[in-house]
Amino acid sequence: MSTLEIRDLHVKVKAEPEHPEILRGVNLTINSGEIHALMGPNGNGKSTLAETLMGNPRYLVTQGDILIDGQSIVDLPVDERARLGFFLGMQYPAEINGVTNAEFIRAAINARRPEDDPIPIMAYLKQLDETMAVLKMPEDMADRYLNQGFSGGEKKRNEILQLMMIKPHWALLDEIDSGLDIDALRIVANGVNQMRGADFASLIITHYERLLDYITPDVVHVMKDGQIIETGGPELAHQLEETGYEHLKAGEGND
Amino acid sequence: MTELTLPNTPKIPLARYLKQAPDAFDQVSVQADSAVTVSQTAAAWPVRSAVDAWLGAPPVTEVFIPAGYHAEAPVQVTGPQTGSALVILHVGAGAHVRLQDRWATSGQQLGVGVLLELAANAEVDWLTYDAFTAHTAIVQRTAELADHAKLNWTVAGFAQNSGASLLTVNLNGTGSQATINVGVLASGSQHVGYTTAMTNNGRQTQGHINQRGVIVGKAHLIFNGIGHIIKGARGSDNQQENRVLMLGSKARGDANPILLIDENDVTAGHAASVTRVDRTQLYYLMSRGLPESLAKRLVIRGFLEAGLLEITDPALKQALFKQIDETLVMADA
Ligand SMILES: Nc1ncnc2c1ncn2[C@@H]1O[C@H](COP(=O)(O)OP(=O)(O)OP(=O)(O)O)[C@@H](O)[C@H]1O
Ligand SMILES: [Mg+2]
Repeated sequence: MSTLEIRDLHVKVKAEPEHPEILRGVNLTINSGEIHALMGPNGNGKSTLAETLMGNPRYLVTQGDILIDGQSIVDLPVDERARLGFFLGMQYPAEINGVTNAEFIRAAINARRPEDDPIPIMAYLKQLDETMAVLKMPEDMADRYLNQGFSGGEKKRNEILQLMMIKPHWALLDEIDSGLDIDALRIVANGVNQMRGADFASLIITHYERLLDYITPDVVHVMKDGQIIETGGPELAHQLEETGYEHLKAGEGND
Repeated sequence: MTELTLPNTPKIPLARYLKQAPDAFDQVSVQADSAVTVSQTAAAWPVRSAVDAWLGAPPVTEVFIPAGYHAEAPVQVTGPQTGSALVILHVGAGAHVRLQDRWATSGQQLGVGVLLELAANAEVDWLTYDAFTAHTAIVQRTAELADHAKLNWTVAGFAQNSGASLLTVNLNGTGSQATINVGVLASGSQHVGYTTAMTNNGRQTQGHINQRGVIVGKAHLIFNGIGHIIKGARGSDNQQENRVLMLGSKARGDANPILLIDENDVTAGHAASVTRVDRTQLYYLMSRGLPESLAKRLVIRGFLEAGLLEITDPALKQALFKQIDETLVMADA
């Protein structure tokens, strides 16, 4: 069992040191095996938190710490964090010309293996085929350039394909449900549910209760003004659907 | 009829390059079996362009590949260690030839010319490997195809020089066909332009240009593609694709597709793109666990692959990959 602990995390945008902090003291603990949902109004720091956990160099931790089993990871670059088990399904995945999906995912898998022991190509292709079938992705998506010209929903599905192939310990999923049609939502949720297990934990950022009907979270958090202001069980998501966020005020939370 | 002369193609300062005389001429060396004959000829180079005139009238190495020649082993032309050089290759009717020309030539201002003539029904697989270490090189390669001749040409531009590379294919004979795949890695402070021209003179001719370039450091790479279908070349096809990818903020690239069509009963098309690998893209790749160097390498290899697809020689492929890696190490330093 492993624990991810976010302790009094304060974050700024590196390029804008004058801009006030976007995260203003986030506290959050996630144990492996758990699924946490993170909700909250637009522009209040949810993506910033996910990107900071992943190690996006555009963000600067000004105070606080991120620990895995007591070990700080704030000084680790993004690729090292990835190899430690972090994965960020991004709100806006990048498009990359010239690199096919298939070769990219293989490189990502091999980056986690000893240099002299790459995944055998046939085993890899079989696994890729099977996973794409689960996600109902057409076969030719494997040979297309990474996200190049993919529709919004296709990009999200492609993020989940990578998630399922790479099998990270800590999956940060930033609005994987946005842009998905109703069927795709169920398919993608099914993919994430297949990952559930003692070795897997996830922080799922979403605006919609519907995703959480498919992937039942253990804990639901609400972020506002760069802080977590409310934490509850799965029923919190349903309540928010009724009441919205207006009545919640920053600073009233449980931290 | 539309005229477009090479010195006027976009962004390549050819006229300025041609103000400085070419380095003294030396000879290429030729490796081939005994059916192939090689001779030195005085002033055999045809003068058809400003570049030809600039070359002067130096001796030329002429290679004769007889009609009906068939061999698996390639005819290999190797550029001199230093200095300019010209070579003309005559491929006889119906010959099937694998041809390579490799250049790692040093110098200040090289003048390089390769002229390939394919007689009727000749088929040539041509691999050009440029690894010039010269400061500047003006390189002109031209292929002339007679009736039903076929050319499949790959140009690996992994050189360090600045200058111009002028690749010209003239589909003169009825039913002749050619494909040029170009893969270029430009780095350092190289300023290099490729003008790749495919002209359909004969009827039912097919010409395809496919250029891929990756630019790192402060280099500037220009791809001009010129597809030209002459009046009377009915039933012909001319297609081109020019794509450049820039790494880093100081790299510069241009892709200029030019289509000149003087005949109605033809098909033609072009595609071009100039894209940049930016921080966001590298972050994305690295967020899946790829170290930065591998992320860059993957992007470069993947992109160039389409230009270098036809290179089956594993040793050469290995050499090209190695050069990509070394170029990146240098660009990072
Ligand atoms: N590079 C940046 N420069 C300036 N402001 C930024 C930058 N990145 C984020 N911000 C600001 O930080 C705040 C939080 O942004 P963030 O993307 O984390 O919000 P979010 O909660 O994910 O919103 P949404 O629900 O709309 O996705 C926003 O006001 C945003 O404008
Ligand atoms: Mg967001």
